[in-house]
Amino acid sequence: MVDHALRCDSRAVAGNKTNMEQAPTQALTDALCKVAQHRDKRAFAQLFEYFAPKIKRFGVKQFGNEALAMELVQETLTSVWRKAHLYHPDRGAATTWVYTVMRNASFDALRKMKSNKEEHISEDIWPLLQEEQMADPDFQDHLQSKQIQDYISKLPLAQQEVVKGVYFQEMSQEQLAEHLSIPVGTVKSRLRLALQKLRAEIGDSND
Amino acid sequence: MIKHHPTEQLLIQFSQGALPATLSIAVAAHLELCECCRIKVQNLEQSNAEALFTDFEDDMAQDEFANLFEQITANDDIDMPKGNAPQTLNYQNKTIELPRAIANSQLSSFVQLGKLARARLQVDDGELRASLLQIAAGGEIPHHTHTGFELTLLLDGEFSDESGAYVPGDFIWLDGRHHHSPATESGCLCFTVVNSALHFNKGLSKLLNPIGNLIY
Repeated sequence: MVDHALRCDSRAVAGNKTNMEQAPTQALTDALCKVAQHRDKRAFAQLFEYFAPKIKRFGVKQFGNEALAMELVQETLTSVWRKAHLYHPDRGAATTWVYTVMRNASFDALRKMKSNKEEHISEDIWPLLQEEQMADPDFQDHLQSKQIQDYISKLPLAQQEVVKGVYFQEMSQEQLAEHLSIPVGTVKSRLRLALQKLRAEIGDSND
Repeated sequence: MIKHHPTEQLLIQFSQGALPATLSIAVAAHLELCECCRIKVQNLEQSNAEALFTDFEDDMAQDEFANLFEQITANDDIDMPKGNAPQTLNYQNKTIELPRAIANSQLSSFVQLGKLARARLQVDDGELRASLLQIAAGGEIPHHTHTGFELTLLLDGEFSDESGAYVPGDFIWLDGRHHHSPATESGCLCFTVVNSALHFNKGLSKLLNPIGNLIY
């Protein structure tokens, strides 16, 4: 699976006028990223509190009906909770993303009222996941090496030293043994153990 | 270069989800081919969001939403987006990739009439009908007027009419004021949305005319 931490670096929100007088755009964006990365309920509560009344007000205007407006609140915020991982802060502010999620839910609801059909055509018209995000080989590689580094950092320190020495500083096993003042045999066995672990970890997560 | 774009008004309605489904599909397909309109729509979405989501007078009591919060967060599952496997279409001995918005809709099979072939999009949209329309090399559509409106999005190939030549991505909106007889030298594939009710109202001759029928 994709590492959300990388995609959800909220420091750079495109199109965000850093105007402190404005809505708490940055805070909302941070909260949405926390939901995406950690399923953080407190962060979601923040979004919920901010958006629920506003979505309801929009729904009442749109449908002229309180019950349908509440359905829109439910549809939209359920999608925010369940689809937060599809949000990209570099594509715009959280407010814009939540707006598009709400617009789509409202579009489907209006169609349902007219044709009495349960379909989610809005997903075809306004996909939440853009193509280029799916098939970008550089992006994938980048993610993967970040992932491998994460795994390496979980190894015992002695094993980390060896892996980093051999694979990142490109020392020979002999050089490394000398550098760490340990026998070459120990370098070899630590490396073997470390690679076993990495293989297990990475293999597991690819199932 | 694409010269014909949806009007500002159409883009605004699209960004608000206020267009009928078939026209939304047409605009979405145009956006896939046209970066400048894509950026316009992103900006519109941003300002729609700002207009709705940035005032502070809040509002209703939170307690009416209390159960909802519990209900939503009780489940930790995530939704994966619908797959977007590119869909290709074979036509006139070539294979082209359809815009995603069109490819994801159900299509009937092609019905052929001379140099024209039409496949209907299976989207229930009131009086609007959307189709893929192929015109084979050297084909043309006899001179006709639009009683309602006819939207043509050129997807592949070329055609021209009295107003000039069109390239893929061109979004051509015609209504009753326009007369035209489009023709293609090398063949083309279009996405069309036609408003039918007005067509019918304008007399039976249209109905009896097999080409008029096919286009609609």
